[in-house]
Amino acid sequence: MAEKRRSGVAAEPKSAKAESDEEFLSQAGVDALLRSTLLKLVEARPEDPIGFLAEHFTIEASENESGGGGDGEGKYQDALEDQQLNKALWHLSLAHHSQRSAFNSNIRVAYDLLSQCGSTRSVPGGVQGRLYTEMLRCVCSDSGLSEAAAAPLLRRLRCHDYEAVPFELFRQAVLMCSAFSEYVRRARCLYTAVACHPERPAERELCVAVLNALREALDTSHGPDATRYLEASAKISPAELARAMAETRGASREQEGQSMDMHEFEDAAAALFIARVRVVN
Amino acid sequence: MKMSTDRFTITAEDYLAETSALFYLNDAVTQLLEHREEFIQFGIVRYFAEYFTSVKNGNHILFREFSYVKGTAHNRVSFIHVFWKYFRQIGKNRDLLTMMEYTSLLQLLCPDFPAEMVQNTAKIVLMEDATECPMSLSDFIYSFQIQFYYEEFLESVLAIYEDLLVGKNPNTVIVPTSASSETISSEETETQEGVDSSVLLECIEGLCERFKPKHPPLSAIKEALENSTRVSYYSFLMALAKHDGISREIGALPNRSDLLIDPEMDQELERLVAQVAISPTSNSSSSAQGLKEPCRKPSPRKSLHQRKRIEMESDGSTEETDSSEN
Repeated sequence: MAEKRRSGVAAEPKSAKAESDEEFLSQAGVDALLRSTLLKLVEARPEDPIGFLAEHFTIEASENESGGGGDGEGKYQDALEDQQLNKALWHLSLAHHSQRSAFNSNIRVAYDLLSQCGSTRSVPGGVQGRLYTEMLRCVCSDSGLSEAAAAPLLRRLRCHDYEAVPFELFRQAVLMCSAFSEYVRRARCLYTAVACHPERPAERELCVAVLNALREALDTSHGPDATRYLEASAKISPAELARAMAETRGASREQEGQSMDMHEFEDAAAALFIARVRVVN
Repeated sequence: MKMSTDRFTITAEDYLAETSALFYLNDAVTQLLEHREEFIQFGIVRYFAEYFTSVKNGNHILFREFSYVKGTAHNRVSFIHVFWKYFRQIGKNRDLLTMMEYTSLLQLLCPDFPAEMVQNTAKIVLMEDATECPMSLSDFIYSFQIQFYYEEFLESVLAIYEDLLVGKNPNTVIVPTSASSETISSEETETQEGVDSSVLLECIEGLCERFKPKHPPLSAIKEALENSTRVSYYSFLMALAKHDGISREIGALPNRSDLLIDPEMDQELERLVAQVAISPTSNSSSSAQGLKEPCRKPSPRKSLHQRKRIEMESDGSTEETDSSEN
C-alpha cells in the first residue's frame, strides 16, 4: 500500500522537483503518517471510510497538540486516559458485533489502547479495573441504553479499581454489553409487535406468554453451541410465538384484561438476559 | 458512499478500490505539496484532519477545478447540494434564468465548469429545442442533477438510443465510453419520433449489468419508460429528472415540494438583508426588491415590515443630525 502511494505521488512531475517532493514528504513524516493510516483503514474497513479518515486524523492531531504541553503530571494522565477511552470507543463503533472477527479485532485495538494508560502508575499486564468499568459504562450508554437499564448488567461485570483485567474477560464483557443493548432494542420491537396498536399498551397475558417463550428459548440445555442456537431460534420463531399467543387468547375468553407497559416488558426481558450473566469475581 | 459488497470478505485492494479514500488522499498530498510552507505552519496532521472533515461535510468542492468536482460520486452530490443551497433564493423569487446565466452561477462555484454540461441540461428541460429559453430553478436543478450525477451512464444511453434510431441490432451494441453528445444530437433529425420504449428498456437493462459507474435504480428506469410505447431520448431523461425516487437515491436535493423551504437559511438571509438595508446606499435596491413582494410566500412579508421600520428609524436619525448641525 505504501508503495502505491509513493508511486502515485512521484508520478506527477518527473524532475528534480519530484525528488524534493519525496524528500519533503518523508522528512515531514507524511510518508509514515499515510502508511499507518492506510494500514488502519484496511484493518478496520469502516463502512464510511471518509468519516473514518476525518475522525482518525482529528484524533491524531489533538494527540500531537496536547502531547507537548503536559504541565501537571496528574492532569496530563487524566487527559490521556480520556483520549484513549474515546479512541477505544470509536474503534468499537466501527463494526457491528455480529461481524464477529472484525469486532474482536476492534476490541483488541481498544484493549491495547487502554492498557497503555497508567502503565507508569500501577498494574502491569492488563487494563486497570477502573478503566474497564468506565469503558463498559460508555459502551452501554453509547448504544442507547439508559443508565437504569444498564446498571444490573454492569453490577455483574464490574471489578475492583485496582485489579488488572486480562484480555479475554475484557472481550467477553464488551461483547456482552453490546449484545445486551441490542437485545433490549429487540425486546422493544417485540413489545410493539405484541401491542399492535402503537397508542395502546399491550395485553398483560400476551406479554407474559411471549416472555415465557423467551425464557424457554434462553434456557436451552447444555450441549454444543450450534445445537443450542438452533434449538433456541426454533423456540422463538415467529410461528412458535404466534402459537403461544393464540393459546393464551384461547384460554382466557374475557377480553380487555390488564395491560403491561413497554417499560415493564423491557425490564422483564432484560432480567431474563441478566440472570444468565455470570458474576465477575 | 455505501459499500455494495460485504466489505469484510473482499481483499484490501478491492476495499480501497470501492472507497474513494485513495482519490482523496492523493488530492490531499498534492494540495499539501503545493502549499507546503503554509501547511507546515498549520501542522500537517491537523491539515489532513481539516481536509477530511471538509470532505465529510461536503464543502470541499467549493472553488475547486472541475476534474476534482466530478471526480467522485460524493463530490458530485456535494456540488449539487451546494449549488442548491447557495442559489435557492433564485427559485424563491421565481426568477427565470437562461442557460448562460446558469453557467455563470455554476462558474462562481467552480471556475472551469463546462458550458456543455449546462447545454445538455437545458436540452432536458426544454426538450432539445429552444435552448435559449429561460428556465426556473426547480426545473433546471433536477435535470442538472441527472445530467451531472449520471453523466457517463447518460452518454452510454445516448449511444444506444442513436443505434436504435438507425435500426441497429441492440444486442451487438458496443458502448463507447466518451461519445460527444453534442455532435450526435445535431445529426438527429425529426424523421422518427423516438424509439420503442420496451426495446430501449431491454438495452438499458443490459447496460446496467455491465456498467461500472453509477446508474439510476432499474425499477425507476422501468417506471420512467412505462408511460408510453415510444420515447425520445430527452423525454426519457425528463422522466428520470422528475422521478422522486432517483432524486432520493442521489440524496443531494430535497423533494420537489420542499425545494424552496429552509426556515433557518431564510432567517439568516433576512438578518443579512436587514443589515444591508440599514446602510443608506442600499435603500434604493431594497425598495426595488419590495416591489417583488406580492408574489412571494407569507414569511418575507415580515421582513418588508421590518425593513420599513428600519428605514423610518434611519430617516429619524438623519433628521436629528441635521438639526444638530443647524
